[in-house]
This record gives sequence, structure tokens and C-alpha cells, in this order.
Amino acid sequence: MTTRSVPPRQLWWLAAGFALWCSALAVLYAVHAIGCAFAWSAGPLRLGLALVLLAHLAAIGWMWRSLNEAGPGLELSRTDVFLHTVGVWSVVAAFVTTVLTLGPPLLLTMCM
Amino acid sequence: MSASADRPARGSPALRLHRELAAIWGTGPGLQRLAAVSHSIVGLRFMATAFVFFAIGGVLGMLTRVQLATPEATFMSPETYNQVFTMHGSMMLFLFAVPMVEGIAVYLTPKILGTRDFAFPRLTAYGYWCYLFGGTILTGGLLAGVAPDTGWFMYTPLSSNVYTPGINADVWLLGVTFVEISALTLAVEIVVSILKMRAPGMSLDRMPIFGWYMLTTALMMVAAFPPLILGSILLETERAFHLPFFDPTRGGDPLLWQHLFWLFGHPDVYIIFLPMAGVLSTIIPVFANRPLVGYPAIVVSIIALAFVSFGIWVHHMFTVGIPHLALAFFSASTAIVAVPTAVQVFSWLASLAHGRPRWDVPMLYIFGFFFVFAMGGLTGVMLAIVPFDWQAHDSYFVVAHLHYVVAGAFAFPMLAALYYWLPLLTGRKAVHRLSVPAFWLIFVGFNLTFFLMHLVGLRGMPRRVYTYRGGEGWLWLNLLSSVGGFIMTIGFALVVIDLLAQLRYGRRVRRDPWGAATLEWAMPIPPVPYNFASLPHIATGPDHAAPDGLAASLARGEGYLGFARNGWQETLGVHMTSGVPEQLIILARPTYLPLYTALATAAAVLSMLFHLYPLALAAALLVIGLFLLAAQSAGLSREYGLLPVGHGVSVPPHTEVAGSPPWWALIFTLVANGTLFTSLVFGTLYLWIAAPNWPPAETFAPDLRLAVITIAALAVAAVGARVSLWALAAGGMTRIWIGLAMLGLLVAIAADAALIAGVVPRPTEHALGATAAALLFYVALHAGIGLLFFVSNLLRLGAGLISPRRTVDLRLTRLWLDYTVLTGAIALGLVLALPSLVAILGARP
Repeated sequence: MTTRSVPPRQLWWLAAGFALWCSALAVLYAVHAIGCAFAWSAGPLRLGLALVLLAHLAAIGWMWRSLNEAGPGLELSRTDVFLHTVGVWSVVAAFVTTVLTLGPPLLLTMCM
Repeated sequence: MSASADRPARGSPALRLHRELAAIWGTGPGLQRLAAVSHSIVGLRFMATAFVFFAIGGVLGMLTRVQLATPEATFMSPETYNQVFTMHGSMMLFLFAVPMVEGIAVYLTPKILGTRDFAFPRLTAYGYWCYLFGGTILTGGLLAGVAPDTGWFMYTPLSSNVYTPGINADVWLLGVTFVEISALTLAVEIVVSILKMRAPGMSLDRMPIFGWYMLTTALMMVAAFPPLILGSILLETERAFHLPFFDPTRGGDPLLWQHLFWLFGHPDVYIIFLPMAGVLSTIIPVFANRPLVGYPAIVVSIIALAFVSFGIWVHHMFTVGIPHLALAFFSASTAIVAVPTAVQVFSWLASLAHGRPRWDVPMLYIFGFFFVFAMGGLTGVMLAIVPFDWQAHDSYFVVAHLHYVVAGAFAFPMLAALYYWLPLLTGRKAVHRLSVPAFWLIFVGFNLTFFLMHLVGLRGMPRRVYTYRGGEGWLWLNLLSSVGGFIMTIGFALVVIDLLAQLRYGRRVRRDPWGAATLEWAMPIPPVPYNFASLPHIATGPDHAAPDGLAASLARGEGYLGFARNGWQETLGVHMTSGVPEQLIILARPTYLPLYTALATAAAVLSMLFHLYPLALAAALLVIGLFLLAAQSAGLSREYGLLPVGHGVSVPPHTEVAGSPPWWALIFTLVANGTLFTSLVFGTLYLWIAAPNWPPAETFAPDLRLAVITIAALAVAAVGARVSLWALAAGGMTRIWIGLAMLGLLVAIAADAALIAGVVPRPTEHALGATAAALLFYVALHAGIGLLFFVSNLLRLGAGLISPRRTVDLRLTRLWLDYTVLTGAIALGLVLALPSLVAILGARP
């Protein structure tokens, strides 16, 4: 291992997964509110919400895969290994959180 | 070793260094203490002031318990009771808990991270004075009988001027906003300081876990406080100028206030809890005699907690009529937030289980924390379940829950921290004969007071009632709860006596009395103004320092910056991730400017409170002038190039590097500003989709030509800022380009003002006009602040403080204008889109 400095921009990876969770929550809440206000049919509204959720899951999944493929690299420092580990597990936690908190509610009645 | 034995021997090189550094870093006696900017002094002031407000808030809490101890009590009138319980909550949350967190952060963080001070000492002092004056306004309102009386969360329409016509609500809105601005400035400072001002070699993986907690907490404050500040501004403008943001009869919506308040309010619970969790993660390994279990897992869980805590604000609004599907998002998120919390709890338990725990007073309080926090966490999960929340909402069950999670989970670790770090200040340890009974009185009193509130709540007692008849089955529970409150108060009084006794009779201790492994114990006891005579190099993992061995070496100046130079207050700026030294940061010396600026700010706030708007404007201009004056004394008068900092390392001063603290401070300020702007956009769209009485009777048609002129002029100003930076590097016409950019801003402000003047319906007639005016005012305000940036640039160019290698001023201006153009385009785009958005409202069923 060397002591090459990890670029500060890589710190964004620590927040990226949960930032997408926040985005998913906000967009789902907004689309649902608009759909109910304008009395959209339940089927298309549910489909729209599902697509929003899937898009976010795909984005978080892509981040998970990218981080895993990139790896900390043998030439990098233990700081890089640490930040990579924390980044990967943050993304994993965000993925699981997105599935558990935003998935099952989509099965409920739309606008009651 | 006694406290005095920690001082260098007389005549030694260490003593000479100590004298030189003390002369540079010290604060003068007497009235000169008012000019103090040292983080140690300001941090202690924060904590002491917070304790005073805690005492006042505690007395108010006791008064409510006296009132509720018996049925049909006439101890207080309903009007007085409303003020008392509102001020109890407001003081405990806004004037005690958050400022205490800030005080702990300000005092301890630089010491634990092995540096000499925070990045912006004058800002720290300004934050403290704002807090003190804001808190004094609120307390003054209480003494004058005009304290806020509509609950600590100020729900509209009760807090509107229709139902609360006096200045009671204004005292809250202006006083709390004043305090929140202080919190925001400190949050930015904490973030920048942790990221850029650690001990050399302290990479992020070697940073004490306390640093991760404080960094995350400060980032949460940066994002959480702006929605409340925006909400307070909107409500105050509704009360003062009749702009109907929350008035449903004119297109406003009271629920918008709830959204904005709880967007702040729920993360605030974690803003209070996380630093205390940081205290626990620091103290528990010391008493467990082993390193903390699961350092990376804790970092992940802190990140998860920070984000998820923002996504659960609606669980405070389960009963307002939101559709079930949307409630389910927030219900599930509220339940899942228990997971990262549990990761930390199990990490602490594992550390204790795998170590060789020893008992002392701090551990008693940690035991108390585990007990009350587990209880509060469990009732939190209960309240996360929507059907249960519908039953328990607005009952004393919720009061019990919030006291367990906010009061208990804050107070017990805070007292653990107090007993743990007090030897650092005093060189003495607690007198067990007092501290142990004090703990048990607090523990028993706390649980007696608040556990019974669960039961009285389940029996149907609502919150905020000033009395009850006595036949509801609430009598004995209330009486015992009040008795518990008095037992708890006796416990806290005993803690105060214990602390005073400790100062006089406590056992003298040697350095690092607990056998800790963090850097704050590697300094003289009590700490000296410069913290470390030289800065340590960190080459081991987190919380692996050996303070006892390190201290003497640092005192002899064997670390970095072990010398005095030019009378500068020097410390090191490091690379954000690796901790490699990359700049020499020269900090501000003691000055009265923060005090004067805070006094002028207080004058502006008080003038607004009494509707003396010309005076408020004059005071605001004075504040601006004082900030510009402060800017003139920042930086260095010439370029220095590389300067030696010890160990064969040379780095440039912070004025000559790209990533200096001011640069990062502006970035995080813009993050906070962006959160406020996003909240404003959210508010506009929320009213459009959810508020009653939309669309308005009059047609809204903003002038497209004026909007285009505004955005084009802003773009010209941003280009001017960019070119002025290039011109500086090329030795060209910097001032001319700045002048052109200023002209662009003036044109933008004029066009924007014309847009505001043409808003129909008038801002006082309908929320559509009010939100459009607010968006446009946001653009004008930022253009105006851009002008101030340029004025400062010109003054500093004239003073020779800006040169081709000292470009930070111009880069800050460029960044500000980039942000202004971006948000200006969004704001103007939304204003232009509003007619179309209003038109499609006709498609609603």
C-alpha cells in the first residue's frame, strides 16, 4: 500500500446511495400527491410510481456494481480501502432501505 | 501528577515556547474577554449559557408539573400556562439542547482532532453572541408576559395574527430565527474545520469516531435548519405584512407550516442525539478497556441515520389527512431508522462485552442512557405504526416518548460527558459521595416523571391542557409524575453542588485520568489558549493516541509548528481525506467585531419585533458594514510562498491555495442556501397542488421580457466575475470587469423589482402572488449580496489583499454568482410556469 491521497470528491460516494433514497421518497411522494389531486386512474398511477421506484433502484444498483468493480485497488492507501468499504456498505444499506420502505406501500389503495 | 505539574519546567525551551504562544493566542483580562474568539472560551460560554437556559426551562417544566399535579388547579391561568409550556419546549430544544451540542463541538472538537482552533474564530464568537441575544429576547418576552404561547412548534393558524394578535408569536419567530442563524454559522464552521483542520496524518480512517459524529451532525444542521428559517420568515411576513402563505382563505395552507417545521424538527432529534452518541462512542471504549467494536459499521450507520432522519418528517403529521399509501412510506422509514441506531447500540454493548469494563460516575449515566433510550426507541417504533399513532396522537403518550428520546437520550450522555471531561478543565475528579446519589435521584425521578406519562396518555389525557376535572383516572398518575419531577430536580441540583464541590474538594488527577486514547488528554490541564504547543503527527488508527507519552514531546515543540512566527495564530490545514499538511492557516486574533456585529443584528431583530422597519433597515445596513469591515482585516498583506511548518515540510499560507477554509465554507453555505431555496420551491408547488381557494380570481401573467432581462443581466454579472478572475491572473483590467458585473447586477435587481411590482394577484391578496413575490425577492436578494461581494473585492484590491496568487476573494464571488444565476433561472422559470400550472388546476375533479 502507498499513501497516495484519495481525492476529496470520492467522499460523495458515502452519501450517494442515501441521497438517491431521499430522491426516490421525494419523487414518489410528489407524483402520488399530483396523481391523487388530479384523480388519475389507480392503474397508471401505480405503474408510474413503480417505474419511479425501479429507476431509483436501478441507479443505486448501478452504483453498487460500479463500486464493487472499481474496488479499492492494491496501489491505494488504507484510507482508500476504508472509504471504499464504507461507500459500498452505505450503498447496500440504501438499496435495502429503498426496497423495504418504498416498495410494499405501492401495493396499498392509491388515494384513500 | 498535579495540574501544575503539567506545565513545562521553569526556564526550559518548553516554557519559552509556552510563553511565546500564550502571548499570541491569549485573550486579555477584564473587558477584553468580550473580544475573545478562542474556541475554548466561546465553547465554555456556549455550555454555561445553555445550562442557564436549561435551568430556566427546567423551572418552567416544574411549574407545569405543579399545575397538573392536582385537578382543577388554579396555580396558573390558562394564558400563563400556555406561555410556560411553550417556553419550556422552546427553551429546551432551541436554547439548551442544540446550543449545548454546539458548545461541546466548539470546545472539544479541535482538541480531539489535534488542532489549535476552529477555522473562523470570529464567526464562532459571532454565533455565540447571536445565540445569547436571541435567547435573551425569548427570555425577556417571558419576563414581560408576552412569551410565545402557541406551543413550541408554532402551528398555524393558531400562531397567525388572527388568533395570536400580540407580539408573542413574533418573539418566537424572530428570537428562534436569530438563534438558528447562529447554529447555521457554527454548523458550516464545524464541517469545514473537521474536513480541513485535523492533526497532520489524521486521515479519515484514523479520525476519532467523535469527529465522524460531529461532521455528520453539522452537515445535518446545514440541511435541516434552512426549512425552519424559511418557514419562520414566511410566517413572520404573513403576520407583519399580511402575505397569506398559511391562510387558507387566501390560497395559503396551514399544513405548509407543518411540513417546513418538521422538515427541520425531525432531523433535529438526531442532531441532538448523534453528538451524544459520539460521546458514548468515545467514553465507552475507555471504560471497556478496549477499542470500539465496528468502527466502519458505525460510520455507515451514522450516514444512514443522517439521511433517513430527513425522510420521516411526515410521521408527525399522520393525522392531517394524507392518503394511506403516502403515510406508509413514512411509517416504514420511521420503523427502519431503528436499524442504524441499533447497530450503534450493539456496537457499544459488544465493546463492553468484549472488554474489561470498570465502573465510575460516567458509566452510571451511560447505564441510565441505555435504559431510557431503549424505552424511548421502543415507543418510537410503536408510534411509527399509523393506527397506533392515530390513537396516541396529541396525548401524553407522545409527551412521554419525546422526553425519553430527546430529554433522556440527551441528558444522560451529556452528564456522562460532563463527569468525563471535567477533569480536563479542573484537574480534579468528582466526589463520589455526591455524584452517585445525584445520578440515582435523576434516574429514578426521570423514570417516575415520564414513564407514568405513557400511562396517563393511554388513558386519554391530551397534551397542552392546563387542567383536568379529576374523575378521568389521571389524578394519581399526574401527582406521582409531578413528585418524580421534583425528585429529578433535586438530583440536578445535587449535580450542581457536586460540580462546585469538585472544584474545591475534588481529587486531584494526573494527565489522562481515565486512560483515554484521544488527543484532548495530550495537552496541559487546564487547556492552554493554543491547545498544543506543537501539533502531533498521527500514524496510528482512530482512538489509539497515547496522550501521556505524547504530551511532553508536543510541549517541547517537537511536533509541527513548534515555534512562534510573526505574531500569527498558526495552525495547519490538511488534505481532506489523507490528512497530509497542505496549507498554513493563520487565524484571526481577539476582536470586538463579533460582539458589535451581533449587537447590530440584535438591534435589527428587536426593531422588526416592534415594527420599527426603518430602524431595522438601518441596523441591517450596519451589520453589512461591519461584515465588510471584518473582511478588510482578513488575509495577509503580501504573498509569502512556501513557509516551513516543521519536520522538513513547507506549505503555502491559506491565502495562496485553492481549497482554503473560506472556499469550503462558501460551498457549505450554498448547500444550506440551496436547501432553503428548495424548500421555497417545494412550498410554491405544495400550495399549488394542495391549498384551498386555488386558482385565484385574477389571472397571473408575469412579464416575460423583464424575466429575460433579469436572467441575462445575472449571466452578464457571472461572466464578469469569471473574466475579472482571469484578468487578475493576467495582470489586466480586474476593476473594469468587476464594474461591468456590478452594472449587470444592478440591471437584474431593477428588472426583478419591476417584476415584483407587477405581480397580480397582489402578494397580500392571494398565496399565488405571495409565493411569486417570494421567489422573485430571493433572486433580487442574491443579486444584492453579489454586489456586496464585489464591493468587498474592490476594497480588498485597493488594500493590496488580492493578488494573482491570492485569488480566493474573486473565486468566492464567482461561486456566489454561479449559484445566483442557477437559482435565478429556476426561480424565474417557475414564476413564468405558474400561469400554466394554475391553468391545469381546472382539470382537477
